[in-house]
Amino acid sequence: MDKVSRFLKNQAIICMLVIFIFVLAVARPSFLSAANIKNVLIDASIYGVAAIAMTIAIVTGAFDLSLASNFAWGQIFFCFLLNLWGDTAGGVFLAVVCTLLSCMLIGAMNGIIVVKSGIAAWIVTMGMSYVVKGWCLVFTGSDMVSTGNEAVAKFGKGTFLGLSYLTYIFILVAIIAFIVMRYTQYGRNLYATGGNRVTAELSGIKTGWYRFSTFVILGLSAGIAGCMYVCQIRAGSVLYGTDLALTCVAATVVGGTPLSGGKGGVHRTVVGILLLYVLYKGLGFLGFAGYVNNMVKGIVLLVVVSFDAFMTQSGTKKVR
Amino acid sequence: MQLKISGVVFLEKISKKVKVSEFSVKSIFREWGLIFVILLIVVVATFQRPAFLSGGNLVNILRSYSTIGIAALGMAYAIIGGGMDLSISSTVSLSAVVTMLIVNGTVIDGISPVYATFLALLAGIVIGGLVGCLGGGIMAAVNGRMGESFIITYAIQIIIAAVANGVVAGKFQAAEYKGGFFKQIGMGLNPVLIFLFLAICLEIVLKKTIFGRNLYFLGANMQAAKMAGIRTRRTRFFSHVICGICAGIAGVIVVSRVNSASISQGLNYEMDAMACVAIGGTSLDGGSGSIAKTVLGVIMLGVLLNALNLLGIRANEQLIVRGAVVVIAVVLDTLNKKAKLKEVAK
Repeated sequence: MDKVSRFLKNQAIICMLVIFIFVLAVARPSFLSAANIKNVLIDASIYGVAAIAMTIAIVTGAFDLSLASNFAWGQIFFCFLLNLWGDTAGGVFLAVVCTLLSCMLIGAMNGIIVVKSGIAAWIVTMGMSYVVKGWCLVFTGSDMVSTGNEAVAKFGKGTFLGLSYLTYIFILVAIIAFIVMRYTQYGRNLYATGGNRVTAELSGIKTGWYRFSTFVILGLSAGIAGCMYVCQIRAGSVLYGTDLALTCVAATVVGGTPLSGGKGGVHRTVVGILLLYVLYKGLGFLGFAGYVNNMVKGIVLLVVVSFDAFMTQSGTKKVR
Repeated sequence: MQLKISGVVFLEKISKKVKVSEFSVKSIFREWGLIFVILLIVVVATFQRPAFLSGGNLVNILRSYSTIGIAALGMAYAIIGGGMDLSISSTVSLSAVVTMLIVNGTVIDGISPVYATFLALLAGIVIGGLVGCLGGGIMAAVNGRMGESFIITYAIQIIIAAVANGVVAGKFQAAEYKGGFFKQIGMGLNPVLIFLFLAICLEIVLKKTIFGRNLYFLGANMQAAKMAGIRTRRTRFFSHVICGICAGIAGVIVVSRVNSASISQGLNYEMDAMACVAIGGTSLDGGSGSIAKTVLGVIMLGVLLNALNLLGIRANEQLIVRGAVVVIAVVLDTLNKKAKLKEVAK
């Protein structure tokens, strides 16, 4: 009995995901159709890539509010470069590389300011989100950038074993992140930095460098997500994905990585983002429209996060 | 934690030492450097565009930033207590649409506009208070700090935005009468006076009451505050309630000023309010800062954006400047504090 309850406590989110899917499948059998699963997974994987980077940052004890603006910049710049060089395969490749580099540069700027000044990451990144958003608007002249590139459209529509290519990118990113976080020295040092920065610094870990690197990873993830989004939508604008940063934080927390840092993991976030997207899409499927959908979204988020915070709080009490 | 407690003791020692050298020019500059920055902006803007210093323009700045200012006052309370409240943007929207519905409704029923005004203000306060109760209640229940408050109030923001949307079914609400007593709230210097009145009240509460001192202690070190016998949950709860009430009042004033209400009325209020608090030099880790500094932050942001407008810089570029100013202000403030620490350590 004790084992069962402990299992339920540890894997509560997976159980919830299974229950959600089960309820939806009973209420609307078409929810489990191959086409719908593919679509839900596409949306989940675009945000999922960013959410994984956000998890790495949260484990290290920071989070990035400029991710949404950075994501928008990724889309806009990728579209712009595709229109410029997109005729050849080499050009497309170059466009991807340049987009990722530019997004990493924005991330690195965040990182330098946060690490060098020692200010709370969220206020710096909040300021930077204005800066990047403003820059995107200046760059595009407040307009949308679209691209008619064939290769990208083909990639966005392409499927393998019934799943979109975009989903495979997400799976690949998740696996790499999982291995790095769990089995490498780099990953362990990130956990140490997030757990107790002073202790980590005293035991010889260059915490400044590790914190800086998480911001570069965040930038990279925003770039990848931006490129993936362009494959899907074939356009870029600051209006797309404005909720990205907070959704990623939500997915991380829902998955079971506490915001205090030093705990949790990437694999949990994969479950978290799936849970959020099954919920979001499921509500649409059940016929909730517009604001009711939003309200349920908010309530579920509130309940899950409050429950999580409440449990971790009572957990710390017991230890004492 | 040991480190943090010794930090508090250290800070207390520092504050005592600083008081000895209170009247040096350097320390005044350190503490109130923002005033000089505001003066600098005013001087530069006036040289470029003499119209900047006209009475009409200054009143305009104060009036248009007083609502964000009122929201920022509440935000300062939440942040000083070591939390945060992202829900104020939807609180402003909800308060705005409900106020508009009440005012329109009462006018149709022929009730005196004076009552309508009071009813609307009351509705703003009650709605703000209720949203604050929700956020504060949950925060108190989970004993949360900055991280939890961030995500919990974000969820509340989504919910309240949806409620506001549901109340008016997404429709834009226009005032059905122009003029009257309700309109007076947003006219002339009235919003500024309300803003200053609230600021003075909240500053007194923060500096002179037990609740205010508890709030500082709570923000500086929650565990220590608890061990010292402070009811941390209750203090946290009320800091969020005050934040919500301020947002509710801001919503009423916005409606009165622009004579219409929509569900996007409060868009970006939380970001602007946080920017004002941060520019004012309130530490975003909680436990320090003041309302007076937040007022300066509001004035700074207002003067800066107005100057940029007058200089012909467009909205997109302004966004960049706004973000950069927030970052620079926070960086300068931190460097300032570090320098102060070093000086005292000598």
